[in-house]
Amino acid sequence: MTVVETSDLTKDYALNGITVNALRGVSLSFQAGEFAAVAGPSGSGKSTFLHLVGCLDVPTAGSIAVGGIDVAALSRKELALLRRRSIGFIFQAYNLIPVLTSLENVSLPLVLLGHGKAEAREMAERALAEVGLGDMTGRRPKEMSGGQQQRVAIARALVKKPALILADEPTANLDSKTGREVLEIMLGLNRSEGTTFIFSTHDRMVMDFARRLVELRDGRIESETLR
Amino acid sequence: MNAAAFRDVAGMALRNLGRHRVKTVITTAAVAISAALYIFMDGWILGMNLESRRNIAAYEMGAAKIQTKAYFDKKDELPMYENFPGWETLARDLAKAGFDSAPRFTFTGTLYSRAGTAPLVFNAVDPESERRLLRYVPYVESGRFPRDGALELAVGSLAAEKLRVGIPDRPTRSEYEAEILGAAATEEDRAFVRSLYGPPRTSKEPRKPFSVPDKAAPAFEEEKLALKEGVSGEERERLWRILAASGRMDVRISTVIDVKAAPDSIRKNKFEQELLPSLDAGAQALVRSAYEPDPATGDYYLASADDALTSRVLETMVAADYPGAIRHINQLIDAVVVGVVNSPNPKTNGSVGYIPLSALQDEAGLMLGGAVTEILIRKAGADDAEIPGSAESPAAIRAALDRVLAADGRTFPDNLDVRGWKDYSADYLAASAGDEVSTRVMILFLFVLSFIGISNTMLMAILERTKETGMLRALGMTDGQVLLAYTLEAGLIGAIGSAIGILLGCLINIPMVAYGIDYSAAAREMGGDFGYRIVALFRSAWNPPVIAATGVVATVLSAVAAIPPTLRALRMPVTESLRFE
Repeated sequence: MTVVETSDLTKDYALNGITVNALRGVSLSFQAGEFAAVAGPSGSGKSTFLHLVGCLDVPTAGSIAVGGIDVAALSRKELALLRRRSIGFIFQAYNLIPVLTSLENVSLPLVLLGHGKAEAREMAERALAEVGLGDMTGRRPKEMSGGQQQRVAIARALVKKPALILADEPTANLDSKTGREVLEIMLGLNRSEGTTFIFSTHDRMVMDFARRLVELRDGRIESETLR
Repeated sequence: MNAAAFRDVAGMALRNLGRHRVKTVITTAAVAISAALYIFMDGWILGMNLESRRNIAAYEMGAAKIQTKAYFDKKDELPMYENFPGWETLARDLAKAGFDSAPRFTFTGTLYSRAGTAPLVFNAVDPESERRLLRYVPYVESGRFPRDGALELAVGSLAAEKLRVGIPDRPTRSEYEAEILGAAATEEDRAFVRSLYGPPRTSKEPRKPFSVPDKAAPAFEEEKLALKEGVSGEERERLWRILAASGRMDVRISTVIDVKAAPDSIRKNKFEQELLPSLDAGAQALVRSAYEPDPATGDYYLASADDALTSRVLETMVAADYPGAIRHINQLIDAVVVGVVNSPNPKTNGSVGYIPLSALQDEAGLMLGGAVTEILIRKAGADDAEIPGSAESPAAIRAALDRVLAADGRTFPDNLDVRGWKDYSADYLAASAGDEVSTRVMILFLFVLSFIGISNTMLMAILERTKETGMLRALGMTDGQVLLAYTLEAGLIGAIGSAIGILLGCLINIPMVAYGIDYSAAAREMGGDFGYRIVALFRSAWNPPVIAATGVVATVLSAVAAIPPTLRALRMPVTESLRFE
């Protein structure tokens, strides 16, 4: 089943009066259960691609379908609801809410989805246990290491069992050992839950982990490798 | 959003307050102070107003007055010639309709005492009706209220002080020697007087709570004596008798009796240039029919012997405000001051004299012949603590009176009118409205300042959390939910601030309602009369709707303060928010 399909995806930015062509006609499709990396040097358009696929931004031209839905036709609110239901995000800087405990951070997407408090708590505890943080449910972000925070972010992304998890350079802020641990957790979840993962990265180790590697350069697909 | 999500968003908002603790505390304090001040000021103003309204009704005029329509139009001039007869009949009709009434004839004049003079407004009253309707009568601080039929006078305490009549509380040494001790004819009386006065008790007198220092007291002045505390009523009476025997209480009223009368003669130029131009054609013809010019001087003389015509001419002249239609008769009346009034309504204690109506009927008085200028009205058995309500409105009084009159086949005289207390209390209403406006404006400024504070706090908070906002939107929070989260956060500042403010305001209000602020010194400086009908004690009142509204308004205003910066944050694309550092 196709989870994401882009067709001739183009994105231009105006930066200080100059038009930057971040993406120039990228057509890709990702199937359910893929563990794929979009790689490339900085400025290659990999983050832009992820943001467009994650419905955080709108393309200049071309189309995106997430779960078969053409997102161009959706309103701001419908896009928000699509993100809420179907897409999990993992950010380079973790982006946890500092005033909430790890358990509360993880249950937030569930609460937004309308789950009851007890149910959300139980699901969040399970998700935290899956990323190996079953004993840190009461901690606030600043009481945890970078790796632990990123694992909370992973739990937050996967707790609602989304069709798609987008991870924007998830290991960039972590040392290689912690980065590997985090990747192993994600790979494990990909295998056990069948969740589709798409990374953006310029880290060789992440690329090695990926089952499918799409390399971008100057907004175009340079190569595509399946392993 | 479901209830659980709302609870979580609210919980998050509450915790977010702790992230900018100093700013939150300062902003909350600003809201709290604004709310507390508002509650305090509002309670104070309400207290003064309630007390003033009660005091106007209870001490000054009852709920309404009957006057002639012409009198009401010129009431500030106290036009004694616009009087009306037959108050006894009206009083009986009012009693049948369930109202108490008190007749008055109000006039102005100068009161001469042995030691001074003062312009006064005199209320000629029926002591019995007055005592029943108004409450100042028992507040005769020394002496007694005048007796019916006698040329006796009670004066306001301020007038008494100016005229140096009555019993002085704090005489200077020389005043004491000459006027008080000097009034005692026998050694026994002198000893008695000496026993009543002593050194003033200023030095170690404990201050009353909430009193302000007496700035009016100069640093150096002639030595003063004071009437001792605990002087009994009998002793005061005896002292009054001693002082009265010395002539201290003897006074003379100098007044001008204004009566409407068609002038016997009018000078040519006045007739032609003043009187005729103020009349319309018909009235001119009427006046010309009664007056004829003198062939030698050109002046006009009343030539008509027809009383009906003369009275119509007079009415025409009065209606046109022709000053020649009022005849002035100088009158001197010897009287004796028998009491000094000092009630909780400063209007009764100022330059006012009270004299029995019955004593002024003939040539020795004002030649009233039963006329009065007004009848004061209050519901029979009305509670003093009650402000006149709809049952005592002029319309209600008039309706009740009309029913009584109709039963006898009579009607309410056409030239009279019933008017409510508000129509006569312009000075109080102006003072009250002015204070109301200035206080509300002042408080509005405070609220604006708090609002700016909250806006600033929220602007900074939302700006600092731009990245977090982007993340929340990436997680699937809609614009509405983000807006709700931030308005809740700001609303919480308002709610906590106003809760503290309400608590603070109420705590201040408790002693303000129970004891009030004693402003006697400041009030003396202002001459005791500043519009409000209260004497030297500002007492607050509870105003629950305003207290509740303060909390609601402060909370809503605070919440609203978060809307502009949130909308600004929401205009930023999510990707840009996420990159924001």
